[in-house]
Amino acid sequence: MKAILILFLCGMATGAAAQTRISGTVTDEKGLAIPGANISIQDSYDGASSDIDGRFLFTSDEKGPHGILVTFIGYSSFIQSLELKGTPIVLAVVLREEINQLEAVTISAGSFTAGDEKRRTILKAVDIATTAGATADIAGALNTLPGTTKVGESGRLFVRGGDSNETRTFIDGMAVLDAYGPSAPNTPSRGRFLPFMFKGTSFSTGGYGAEYGQALSSALVLNSKDKAEMNQTDIGLLSVGTDVAHTQVWDRSSVTGKVQYTNIRPYFQLLDQRVDWNNPPLSLEGSAAYRQQVGVDGLLKVFGNFNRSNFSMFNHDIASPATKQLVDLTNTYAYGNSAYQQSLREKWSVRGGLSYTYNDNAYRVDGAPFNESEKGIHSKLVFENSVSDKLEVRFGSEVIARRYDASKQDEKTLEIVKQSFNETITASFVEAEAYTNKHFVAKGGARVEYNSLLGQPSVDPRLSLAYRPRKQGQFSMAYGVFRQSAKNQYLRVNTALLNEKAEHFILNYQVITNNRTFRVETYYKRYTNLVKFVGGDPTVLINSGNGYAKGVELFWRDNRSLKNVDYWVSYSYLDTERDYLNFTSPAMPSFASTHNFSFVYKHFVTALKSQLGFTYSYASGRPYYNPNVTDFNSDRTPYYEDLSANVSYLPKNWLIIYLSCTNLLGRDNIFGYNYATTPDSNGVYARQAIRQPATHFLFLGVFITISKNKSINQLPNL
Amino acid sequence: MKTTALFFAMILGLTASNAGDDKFIETMTRTIDLVYKASTTDEFLQSINTFDRIGNSEKNRWEPFYYAAFGYTVLASREADAVKKDGYLDQAIVAIQKASTINPDESEIVAMEGFISMIRLTVDPATRGQQFAGKAMQSFEKAVSLNPENPRALGLLAQMQFGTARFFKTSTLEACENSRKALEKFRTYVSVNPLAPAWGKGMVEGSLKECQ
Repeated sequence: MKAILILFLCGMATGAAAQTRISGTVTDEKGLAIPGANISIQDSYDGASSDIDGRFLFTSDEKGPHGILVTFIGYSSFIQSLELKGTPIVLAVVLREEINQLEAVTISAGSFTAGDEKRRTILKAVDIATTAGATADIAGALNTLPGTTKVGESGRLFVRGGDSNETRTFIDGMAVLDAYGPSAPNTPSRGRFLPFMFKGTSFSTGGYGAEYGQALSSALVLNSKDKAEMNQTDIGLLSVGTDVAHTQVWDRSSVTGKVQYTNIRPYFQLLDQRVDWNNPPLSLEGSAAYRQQVGVDGLLKVFGNFNRSNFSMFNHDIASPATKQLVDLTNTYAYGNSAYQQSLREKWSVRGGLSYTYNDNAYRVDGAPFNESEKGIHSKLVFENSVSDKLEVRFGSEVIARRYDASKQDEKTLEIVKQSFNETITASFVEAEAYTNKHFVAKGGARVEYNSLLGQPSVDPRLSLAYRPRKQGQFSMAYGVFRQSAKNQYLRVNTALLNEKAEHFILNYQVITNNRTFRVETYYKRYTNLVKFVGGDPTVLINSGNGYAKGVELFWRDNRSLKNVDYWVSYSYLDTERDYLNFTSPAMPSFASTHNFSFVYKHFVTALKSQLGFTYSYASGRPYYNPNVTDFNSDRTPYYEDLSANVSYLPKNWLIIYLSCTNLLGRDNIFGYNYATTPDSNGVYARQAIRQPATHFLFLGVFITISKNKSINQLPNL
Repeated sequence: MKTTALFFAMILGLTASNAGDDKFIETMTRTIDLVYKASTTDEFLQSINTFDRIGNSEKNRWEPFYYAAFGYTVLASREADAVKKDGYLDQAIVAIQKASTINPDESEIVAMEGFISMIRLTVDPATRGQQFAGKAMQSFEKAVSLNPENPRALGLLAQMQFGTARFFKTSTLEACENSRKALEKFRTYVSVNPLAPAWGKGMVEGSLKECQ
């Protein structure tokens, strides 16, 4: 018995003697050693790691044909079949580097990306919420970036000499019509969507891809959050109202509902306003978000928002201020959006969605009604194919159908005059992104649109390139043709108006190192087909307008040099002129200013458990039309300046107290002038300055979070 | 008779592929020892590579991928460069997902998922605080509920509570309480699995010093 056992053990030992010795080297395509690569005989434990010189050596007891596998992070796997029979094997393995999205060059011309997860982002989602002076408004925060012009009485985004309607908002790829809340004339409006809803923001100031259409100057692409992680209830007590939100989480889905009531009256009673309010803004808003995971990686996102608001105010006549007119506006707004995405078979993925916008403005001017409503549906389907790590192809189609109605009571006949139009835009796009290596990428594509009002198709090319000569610092350029339907107020007069067109040329240099960003960009933009009044008559419209914008922009951000301090500086130089609408000659439009500067500073003071923030903004004087001089738009307002501050104090981990104040310097900013329609007895047109509604805007909020987990608060929501 | 029995037992054992099991246990034990003792990046990557090889040939065992994830997470916690840190954590997630597919209800795997979220948070607490603090806490709580005796699940939960208390300068009472319980379990808990993780006692002892 023992003998057999010994024999058996001997057999094992001789087996061990017939080992195969496998050795070799692992290098990259340039012949440089790759240390730490994993070399293995498939379906066995045998193998080794390559050493500092890329060399490896091991022995294997395995016999017969086997696969040998060599892997290393960031490189394509190497696999080869070998016969193991005791004779030594020597291998020279060459691994090909895969193009890793995180490390490879990216196209940065024209775009600012903000997100939590990506490491190469310029702004993070939380930055938008904590920028002083922005009071948690997305446009407010983005207005501290280069490429924007501060138009204080509007609160909207004006990009590179473009009007605010030239920036279009997309949520999860779906178009939003009327992205700003209603506001009284010359008082800033806020975006309808709060920054905390989004995990990522991409703000493009030009040269964006073929997927985005109907935007002349800028695309603001917002990506909503995925499934919520935990049950919680959030309560906000604000100086201007209150809100309550609740999130309920299941294994594969989550629901968040929010109700918000805003009433500015108590605040306006405390702090004097220059606006003669009859009823200050009052609004009630409800929103809900539903997330459902489907299968392995499918995700359905549904979002709905309903808002009703009202205000009324007195407009005083410029020549005789005692004469006043009551303006009353009731706005009803609904937005619904559903988006779905999932991987299909290997390398393919699909995403699509449907959105619906309803916006109704009911004005009463001294009782006389003026109604305006817009309804729109957007549906879209996009396929993506990662052909290889070097080539990605994307194509899709969309339909944007909208209806616009306006009705107005004629002052003399008292008859209701109606104007309306239906527009359907059917579009398809295709785009390919190709890397030659991790230093060079090119993206090219085109967008084809067919507009039902015009009855003819259009083709717009888009092209961008990026090149990174060394590890840090990259150059990129972008070119594209962009088009957008004329504003509703013109299209309703003449539905045959062509799309307005813009052509962008952008050059960019950017360096992002650990927590520091430097960026310089220059561009030229050419406008054609702009709407023009024939002989100054706003009821006779043609597309003979044109214009240009060019400029240089700088951006620097640093959150490394000073402990707990994060700051950014941006400067934009803008040279723009256009000849459109009622312009008598090419001139700078009143929403443009030559120099814009912002300095944003955030400091977390651990001892105070507080984050302090300051934002300084400067804009040089803006043109305004003065009927008392002959040159059109030749006068300039005084410069604009603002210093805002905010404090977020976290006394308990479920409680945040937030205080912010604008215009600490108390400057009386003048945004322009309204002139009387008729000259006075001396032949002079009287004027009224457009000023801030109050010197300061103060905001106080108390935010409470109730959850099982006490370490969670609303900080990222502010 | 006795020898015959032993002989047959051995033969049976060998043919019933317990040899594979022995080899698995033996190789794993040796490599686990190496990853615990590793001090250089090279040493970590070597043992991770070995775990990877074992995991790829033992399709039904979660332990190799668990330890590969552990190696990457420890590497990430020692790394200063944020991009590299995230790179290691990405690898840790790939590995722990493989382990989780094999055994989704293993308390140790769920605790490791929480540990990865916790280190992910430290890369950029200001930005990632909300998302990853929530994720980490959820994982630790789930790990405790899957196995209330798992000392690591409880110890890691206490770590998160310490972090929160330190940040808000609030009481560390709950954190200390959980650390004490965790330490007690480190002394008493014995897993039936010879390859069960054994790390984490030092971490708990370290933080208990704050509880005097």
